Amino acid sequence: MRNFEHINAPDLQTAIALLSKPATEAIAGGTDLLGELKARLRSPQRLVNLKTLSQLREIRYSPRAGLKIGALVTLAEIERHSVIREKFPILAQAASSAATPQLRHMGTIGGNLCQKPRCWYYRNKLFACWLKGGEKCFAEDGENTYHAILGAERCHAVHPSDLAPALIALDATLRVVGPDLDGEISVEELYTKPTASRRQMTVLGPGELIAEIYVPLPKEGARGIYLKAMERKSWSFALVSVAAQLSFEGERITDARLVLGGVAAIPWRAKDSEKILTGQKFSEELAKRAAEAALAGAQPLQGNAYKVPLARNLVKRALELLVASS
Amino acid sequence: MPKVIKTKTEFEGRVVEEYVVVEGEGLSAWEAQTPLRFVGKRTPRIDGPERVTGKAVYTSDVQLSGMLYGKILRSPHPHARIKKIDTQRAEKLPGVRAVLSFHNTPTISFRRQTFLFDQIVRYVGDEVACVIADDEEIAQDALELIEVEYELLPAVFDPEEALQPSAPKVQPDGNLLNGQPEIYQRGDLAQGFARADVLIERTFKTQCALHNCLEPHGSVALWEGDSLTVWDSTQHIFGVREGLARLLGLPLHKVRVIKKYMGGGFGSKNNLGKYTVIAALGALRTGRPVKILLDRHEENLATGNRPSSIQHLKIGAKRDGTLTALELKAIVAGGAYCLWPPSVGGPARQLYACPNLKTEQYTVFTNTGPLSAFRAPGYVEGTFALESVMDELAKELKMDPLELRLKNYTEIDQTTGRPYSTKGLREAYERGAKLFGWTSLKKKGQGVRGRLRRGVGMASQIWSGNGMPPAYAIVKINPDGTATVITGTQDIGTGTKTILAQIAAEELGFPIEKISVEIGDTQLGLYAPLSAGSMTVASVGPAVRGAAHDARHQLLDVAAQVLEVPRESLTISDGLFSSPALSECVAVPEVLKNLENFMIIGRGAREPNPEDVAVNTFGAQFAEVTVDTETGEVQVERIVAVHDSGRVINPLTLSSQIEGGIIQGLGYALFEQRIVDRNTGVVLTDNLESYKVPTALDIPEIIHEMIDRPDLKANNLGVKGVGEPPIIPTAAAIANAVADALGVHIYELPLTRDKVLKALGENHA
Repeated sequence: MRNFEHINAPDLQTAIALLSKPATEAIAGGTDLLGELKARLRSPQRLVNLKTLSQLREIRYSPRAGLKIGALVTLAEIERHSVIREKFPILAQAASSAATPQLRHMGTIGGNLCQKPRCWYYRNKLFACWLKGGEKCFAEDGENTYHAILGAERCHAVHPSDLAPALIALDATLRVVGPDLDGEISVEELYTKPTASRRQMTVLGPGELIAEIYVPLPKEGARGIYLKAMERKSWSFALVSVAAQLSFEGERITDARLVLGGVAAIPWRAKDSEKILTGQKFSEELAKRAAEAALAGAQPLQGNAYKVPLARNLVKRALELLVASS
Repeated sequence: MPKVIKTKTEFEGRVVEEYVVVEGEGLSAWEAQTPLRFVGKRTPRIDGPERVTGKAVYTSDVQLSGMLYGKILRSPHPHARIKKIDTQRAEKLPGVRAVLSFHNTPTISFRRQTFLFDQIVRYVGDEVACVIADDEEIAQDALELIEVEYELLPAVFDPEEALQPSAPKVQPDGNLLNGQPEIYQRGDLAQGFARADVLIERTFKTQCALHNCLEPHGSVALWEGDSLTVWDSTQHIFGVREGLARLLGLPLHKVRVIKKYMGGGFGSKNNLGKYTVIAALGALRTGRPVKILLDRHEENLATGNRPSSIQHLKIGAKRDGTLTALELKAIVAGGAYCLWPPSVGGPARQLYACPNLKTEQYTVFTNTGPLSAFRAPGYVEGTFALESVMDELAKELKMDPLELRLKNYTEIDQTTGRPYSTKGLREAYERGAKLFGWTSLKKKGQGVRGRLRRGVGMASQIWSGNGMPPAYAIVKINPDGTATVITGTQDIGTGTKTILAQIAAEELGFPIEKISVEIGDTQLGLYAPLSAGSMTVASVGPAVRGAAHDARHQLLDVAAQVLEVPRESLTISDGLFSSPALSECVAVPEVLKNLENFMIIGRGAREPNPEDVAVNTFGAQFAEVTVDTETGEVQVERIVAVHDSGRVINPLTLSSQIEGGIIQGLGYALFEQRIVDRNTGVVLTDNLESYKVPTALDIPEIIHEMIDRPDLKANNLGVKGVGEPPIIPTAAAIANAVADALGVHIYELPLTRDKVLKALGENHA
């Protein structure tokens, strides 16, 4: 990597001011950024270290407000937090499925949500791909085993986060701070398909940061699950993942949130499936219909058609396991 | 007196005959029932503590005063002619000491297929130039300042396309290695197929796999006057010495190659690398030592691979399972440079009795990273195809797969007609089947538990077994009753040092704590062959035993005179002399202390290989898997392995080899694969996140046993090799188990989700 200046952020306001300058990047756990620096994909002149912002390292829980997680909380802390394990198991499952124990001890939830795609064309300096400002997506007629099957336009990379689908299924929100900004958006709203004028997967602009994550307390009797298909048992980004959160009244599903990872440039909310499930009594047939609806719009490339049955079966299984666990 | 003889050695599936000089009488191997104190005992590594405490100095740890660092500029294009290299801007960067390219280095031919700095680059990653600088980051920065003007040439990545007459030429003489396929045949193929009741014809594909040694390739070069010393992470210090001397025009005595510890080679470090020669030239130019250590990205591009293969296999058998004919046509993607073809047809030629057989191999140049040896080159690929088709044949014949293999068992090497010195395969089958519970599991049939299906499969292994001469060793006995073994072999991480200490302690009659072993230095050591082909112990071990034997006899000669007892009455054990003529035992130093600094020097040399037998290793592995029918996930539950590698010297280090081989084989079966972009030739899996090796969680229960019977004809230790055998049948056994679970065979590795889901009939619609 090239040399850079390393500045410890004394407080959030200074961090924002520093990060608004050109050629400046934020670093927390560094597990994603260092890879990019070493590959010389980016060569910032300044890194602003956020780990000094101790107020963003806390997990707080109250039965009324739910969960508040500072952006600098590590995945390992989430994974082993007793309240999260008990009341938000979907989140603990997602955190523990990510990366490796070493990486989870360094990587933060804020960084996990903002990480860059793992697309091997994006990560390789030899390809001036569209997402990096170039002309074409090399995956489209190249090697696309791990690429998007849903909603892709110019770029076929998938968003790699495990936490994002889980948080969206839990209807979580974020406090986003920036030069002229201190507000709340949903995690779902954080993500956007890259466009020609904005070639990135989040809505965050220069100097804008995630400060905290709020997770509302699930309804009484609600249940969630995170399932992840990986190429090996550990240290693997999702081929496909499914975050499902269902609320019940008796046997009837009153609310359903279903989010897929590894299939699109953003965590993919399967709203048609949610509609199919809501208000219905669970049956195998219903799960099947919901699973089919989730993938109805799939447009696989040459090498990733397997993701369609894989995602469909994983959705079905998630729903069946949720019902079986009741 | 030294004798010049011809000896035959099977090395990685090829029999080579060469002249060697041997000396000394041959010792007989210890019989199975001979009581031994150290050989055969679980012995922790004598160099374990320094390795695990970080004190062992690997090549990457070598730090010399004033040392500079080199970084190599590599081609971004799969095929191009370099028109111009402008290094001025790079040279002006503070901290840059030299930039080497074809402009300012001698024209040095490499493998007769390229030059050290070639003006034609033939794959993405081919060497273009090298910056020597004060540190690695400066060197890396400077690489970006080198301006290269390329004239792009047409490239070809697919071996079948490369064989077309219209394909771009990777090498000037065409894309087929040696201009013709490598053909082996015996019997009458047409007649053999005509006699068959059942014919099966299938096409198999295997992927390109990368070694990804924990320690990357690298060298440190130091000139002192006109003498060159090189620390190199290599499997063959004497080979590197010879190569450096030849390419740089130096006499052998002025070149010293050192390799004390190593973090894996797996065949990728068999030969002299360009980076080593570049480091030597860089050190010469700057007058300072130079270290070039490749990074993970370069490891995945430019340090060799197990090439991909396409294998068309046709097999004919009688109704009772007797093979009548076997035909294999294999196409192997050699990459841009290739010295020798891996023997993909080896298992087909050797494993079973089959009178009518033809193997035909096309090794093809492509504009991709060059192949190298990789733990049982050719045999891993070939065994997957052969053992898969054997299972399909068994299914067709409604025979137990194991029974079919026993039906075609042979005690005679099918390629030479020579009997095997020892062959423990029948016993390996029997013991493996029993340990695994094969018969009852097979009878139960496919287990279906909801979405999970269980399957079992097995596969056999054959591989060369013997080492080769020449190999030399000396054993010094010091006045205090300690001894030092000196030889020029190298420990590539397998435990060679410990094994040699066990052998020396056994033969000397010394406690093992009294033995030290000095290896890995061409200047102080004696010649030993490369550590490849599972040959190290079988090559060097007998020389060490010979040297220890010689030293012990000298010691007894001297001691008999000092102690004034009849020579023939004197024995030594545990460092103590005893004789009926002595009232009590006498320790070695007690005898030597009166002789000032008298030193015993025992010499040993490897005996020639036997002429009348074939020395091979054998084994069988059994796999149990469950397949998730909804997600295509393959879970390997258990592997049982029983191998015959002759006498076991150290069950502890051996068990590391067996488990390591199985784990590497499992990675090959399930997910390891180099992915090259079909349009640009760029390696996309250039890191350990995307090139997936097994993690601890992927490793199943592994149960292994050895036949452990000395091969008395092989060499004076009765040992055969064990480094490569365990990887050979693993992928085949797993693939057969998956086929058993699914009811259909998958003909292509690795067994990733896409292939498994497709085999299950799951598709997009």
